[in-house]
Amino acid sequence: MTQQIEYRAGSSLSRRTLLAAAAAGAGALSLSPLLRSGAFAGQELNLTIIQPHAIAGEVLKKLFLEQAGVTLNFTVIPYDQVHSQATLDVQSGANHYDVHDYWYTSIGALVDDKVVVDVTDLIERDKDKVRPDDFIKSIYDAYTLVNGRRWGLPYDGDSHVLFFNTEILRRHGLEAPATWDAYYQAVKTITEKEKSEGIYGTALLGFKVPVIIVSSYANRLAGFGGKFLKDGQPDLVSEESVAAADELVRVAPYALPTPSETAFDQALPAFLSGKIAFLEFWTDLGVRAQDPNNSKIVDKWDVTQLPVGGGNKHPVAALDAGFGWAISAGSKKKDLAWEFVRWATSNQIGLKLLTTYNSGIDPTRNSTLNAAEYKSFAPKVQRAAAAAFGSALVWPTVPQAPKLLETLTEQLALILAGQIKPKAGLEAAQRTWERLLV
Amino acid sequence: MLLPLFFGLLIFAVYPSAYVLALSFTKSTLGQPFKSWVGWGNYRWLVAGADEIFTQSLLRAALFSLGVALVELWLGLWLALRLVSLRRGGRLVRSIMLLPLMTPPILVGVAWKLLLAPGGGLVNGKLLAWGLIDVPISFLGTQPWAMLSIMVADTWQWTPFVAILAYAALRQVPDDVIEAARLDGANQRAIFWQILLPLTAPLLLAIFVLRLIMAFKTFDLLYILTFGGPGDSTDMAGFSIWRMALRDFDVGTAAAETVLFAVCVSIVILPFLWLHRRVEERTL
Repeated sequence: MTQQIEYRAGSSLSRRTLLAAAAAGAGALSLSPLLRSGAFAGQELNLTIIQPHAIAGEVLKKLFLEQAGVTLNFTVIPYDQVHSQATLDVQSGANHYDVHDYWYTSIGALVDDKVVVDVTDLIERDKDKVRPDDFIKSIYDAYTLVNGRRWGLPYDGDSHVLFFNTEILRRHGLEAPATWDAYYQAVKTITEKEKSEGIYGTALLGFKVPVIIVSSYANRLAGFGGKFLKDGQPDLVSEESVAAADELVRVAPYALPTPSETAFDQALPAFLSGKIAFLEFWTDLGVRAQDPNNSKIVDKWDVTQLPVGGGNKHPVAALDAGFGWAISAGSKKKDLAWEFVRWATSNQIGLKLLTTYNSGIDPTRNSTLNAAEYKSFAPKVQRAAAAAFGSALVWPTVPQAPKLLETLTEQLALILAGQIKPKAGLEAAQRTWERLLV
Repeated sequence: MLLPLFFGLLIFAVYPSAYVLALSFTKSTLGQPFKSWVGWGNYRWLVAGADEIFTQSLLRAALFSLGVALVELWLGLWLALRLVSLRRGGRLVRSIMLLPLMTPPILVGVAWKLLLAPGGGLVNGKLLAWGLIDVPISFLGTQPWAMLSIMVADTWQWTPFVAILAYAALRQVPDDVIEAARLDGANQRAIFWQILLPLTAPLLLAIFVLRLIMAFKTFDLLYILTFGGPGDSTDMAGFSIWRMALRDFDVGTAAAETVLFAVCVSIVILPFLWLHRRVEERTL
């Protein structure tokens, strides 16, 4: 099909006809009439994408070229730099990018700095294609709503679940823990008995980067029923918040050495090689764990919701990470950019990415979360994810969010290193948050 | 004749300095520089209100820089003395010595991170094999090992630089002076302390000051090895400024940190510049 298009490149009418036929033939129901007509054929779009989603980017690039004749040029960026890249691109006047991959916590800052475009009216106009009611409720507002307006669409709905090695647990007569206390006891038991063999109860992700250490804290905060903000004010010194930090410190001595150094590149190989019993991680780990090219624990793992603690009896998922697509304020192709955003976040494309190995994508829509294809592709993960998104702890998304999270990261790192007590560390973070949110 | 120099200084020194100074008195973000005037607010926060985080990172940077510069000077001088006494293969040895310096700083960090890893790292592996430890040491995850590890990696990378400069300084000493001393019965120790060191002192001091200023700016090793952790125990000024500007997006406060950093570096190197001038006068 591609060769035929190249042969007849001189004839734009023939090319449009061919593209329209190709799109229809490929079942591109997610394409708008405008894209299907080939109106944008031959054009290019420049996008940022985070490193973990590089494979998803390749899938999107291939499909969008096949279906719409548009070339997507992705620049792969480390996930902790994607916000600064987007801001600098617009603020400097370079305006190289048309669409940005954004971490949802930065949406307030991106809006405040006028980096992204308001898409509320576009969503309303294309409601039948966008199907906003299909987005998972806890995700849709958190990822896109600022000051009553929408600024992007979700495409990777991240939450942590608790993965465990069934073989290790069986060896010790343990079950998946329902409470953080049971989790601690299980981790302690396993580490004390098997440390000499290089096997530990858990890997505690404590590297000094927000999406790593704050995720570990947020999982416990959610479990205890706490919040980051209450009525727009910091809530870091509540009973639940302090209990969450205490829980982090309590389990640290029994975790894979050393929590302060443990990031993805230490924790993932440890779990996939059967060296740790528990790992709090994003749902897409389940796909990797069943891939014999990547995992030594195929069929020897399972997954459950994160434990609860204190007075809270109902599991709550923390919305750790989570990404959306937004149109850059500096883009000169905003129409095409919107067509991409709408297409890439559609049910069909979402399902395609969900069922691609190592895409790094998790569900954002109810239809994809409950799709038969996803259930058969990753049955265990689908069950846990479906339960997780019912109730969720949202991270701050105010304009000051990047600084709030860096401050909290700093204090959690001090707490984990034993340089400060949990309550004192959270009090220091609370004081800074109060100053920033004035 | 001076016009090109004037314009060069204006563009590359005066304008950026003035821009940073102006930013430091404002509330600025990455997307909105010069958002509002805050006067001394940023400085007051850093010095008196921020739980001493930045002042501690300045102190750490000063101690780190003085430490590594001193160690590298002595190690580099020792290597240079060995090089001078080499009869054959000196050029080859000098080329090999430069390898750490030619390695990209990021790779140096990655290599040392792998060497020092608690699980599978070469250092822990050898210590365990020799029975010197029972459990792996977390060099990058505990204090004081984390700071010491960064100092070791920095010393490994920059000592050859100091050695090459020190070698050049030693080669400047006339051979007949050393010959005359030998004829008078002076041994190697006496030649070093009473002839070589006094004659090369100004150059060695200059090398020390240069290395001191460079060490203050250490960022890449910190970024790769510890990211300022564990806790904030290896968080040094340069890293702190980067974090404030490009992670907190508080460009105004980062600019104030930059100004304070420049003041701190000046205060630390001033005594050594004075000492250099005195030693140079005495040598001449």
